[in-house]
Amino acid sequence: MTQVISIQPVTRIEGHARIDIHLDDAGRVADARLHIAALRGFEQFVVGRPAEEIPRIVSRICGICPWMHHLAAAKAIDNCFAATPPPAGHLLRELCQVLAHVHDKILHFFFLAAPDFLLGAAGDYAARTIMGLARREPELAAEVVRMRQLGQTMLERFAGKAIHPVAAVVGGFAKPMSEAELRDLQAGGQALLDFACRALDYAREKVFARFEDDDLALGTIATGFLGTVDGQGNLRFYDGVLRLMRPDGATSEFAAADYARHLAERVEPWSTAKMVYARAWNEGFSLDPEAPRGVYRVNTLARLNVCDRIATPRAQAELEAFRARFGRPAQGTLLAHWARLIELVYACERVLELLADARIIDPVVRTPAEPRAGRGVGHVEAPRGTLIHDYTTDDDGCITRANLIVGTTHNIAPMNLSVRRAAAGLVAEGEIDAELLNRIEMAVRAYDP
Amino acid sequence: MCLAIPMQVVALEGGSDEVLDPPVALVESDGVRKAIRLEMADRMPTVGEYVIIHAGFAIRTLTVEEAEYNLELMRRMAAMLDQDGGAPGAVR
Repeated sequence: MTQVISIQPVTRIEGHARIDIHLDDAGRVADARLHIAALRGFEQFVVGRPAEEIPRIVSRICGICPWMHHLAAAKAIDNCFAATPPPAGHLLRELCQVLAHVHDKILHFFFLAAPDFLLGAAGDYAARTIMGLARREPELAAEVVRMRQLGQTMLERFAGKAIHPVAAVVGGFAKPMSEAELRDLQAGGQALLDFACRALDYAREKVFARFEDDDLALGTIATGFLGTVDGQGNLRFYDGVLRLMRPDGATSEFAAADYARHLAERVEPWSTAKMVYARAWNEGFSLDPEAPRGVYRVNTLARLNVCDRIATPRAQAELEAFRARFGRPAQGTLLAHWARLIELVYACERVLELLADARIIDPVVRTPAEPRAGRGVGHVEAPRGTLIHDYTTDDDGCITRANLIVGTTHNIAPMNLSVRRAAAGLVAEGEIDAELLNRIEMAVRAYDP
Repeated sequence: MCLAIPMQVVALEGGSDEVLDPPVALVESDGVRKAIRLEMADRMPTVGEYVIIHAGFAIRTLTVEEAEYNLELMRRMAAMLDQDGGAPGAVR
């Protein structure tokens, strides 16, 4: 008789995830699946609502990354109403976005990921959390908490409360930034960048130096990647074109508005969650672990694989070192953590770059927008990957159709492959203990679902 | 996509040291009390307020008024799905 072992909830990832490991009579892994409770119903819920409400509503419902949804929705509705925000509007929106990335990356790396590596997968769960880290590295832990607070304070200073963002409005941004706010933010931005560089040095020495071959092989699969770049192939979070990379490194690019021609959505019979695959490769979709088809990944590692370079100097130097060591595309699932810290450095450098752009304090932050019939796609790179909002409006500017693809939706297929690979590599003759289950979870945690 | 369901704080514990004894909020879900760490929250909640939880950490604190507004949005969304014969966030 076969046996099913469930890990639920997956302790340090999204609370509604479950991993099922199916064992055959001999105790070998026959299958392993990750189930994630997805939000359904938002697309139906918004039909009939005035489009300009959507950026405010979505940030209340998708409260894990409210800024990302707020901005993707605002960009989509700009396009429905054919409104082009002035330069200051875009710069202020992007500043909000990169500050939200800083907050998220500090949380994920230091609170969720680092304890696995610093304290070992074998320790009990309570000891492996940030508390364990705090006992070993009290100064670092205190600085992590301070820097997370600094990022949040900076965001609230010019954009209002970060809980339910309302600062991005159709056509631009709600209010201009003052020179006094700008000077304050510059000092804070420099402190964040200094911390990000120290954090990466620390991680390289204390965390990544411990990556051994079996760590790098954990849950590793060969897939394609999707991310956003500008016209010169530089990494972008806020705007740009989508670049899809095949497992062999060949790339194609498309505008976010054309996503449905390059990506396809489907629901597998065993899961309620939508999955996405690369329609453009004309090979269909398969989660066969030996020969997956159409599977690509999004998120930190994907973005660093698809970009040619990063336009800020510290992050670019780190990318070059990363690429020299792991190649391009790098397939190691746990390398997503390393990529996350390189992106933290980029986000902090980008904060300073945006603040150095004189246009950011221009008083004209918004272009008037009139409700009208149209279709608009808005996308941003969220911490968890490419986020796409797609709306159609009627003559009164009310929503008639909505479709969302969030980061984790792209990653459900590859996460399933990673779980299967990790379980097959670790489980022998049906023997499963807490350390082994945590190692399987680590393969999922790297995706930050 | 992940639903940020606000959870009401029923008690607060710890807090004698920011790093070594950080404050923890107890929230109740389906009759089970869970301890939620507060280091990453934007501000400390008071008992009765709500928190949004990601991976075992409270990432935001909501006043009762804010949380009730969000919960009402989610209830209306769920009601709409029920009409379509689906359930939000169902895991098979």
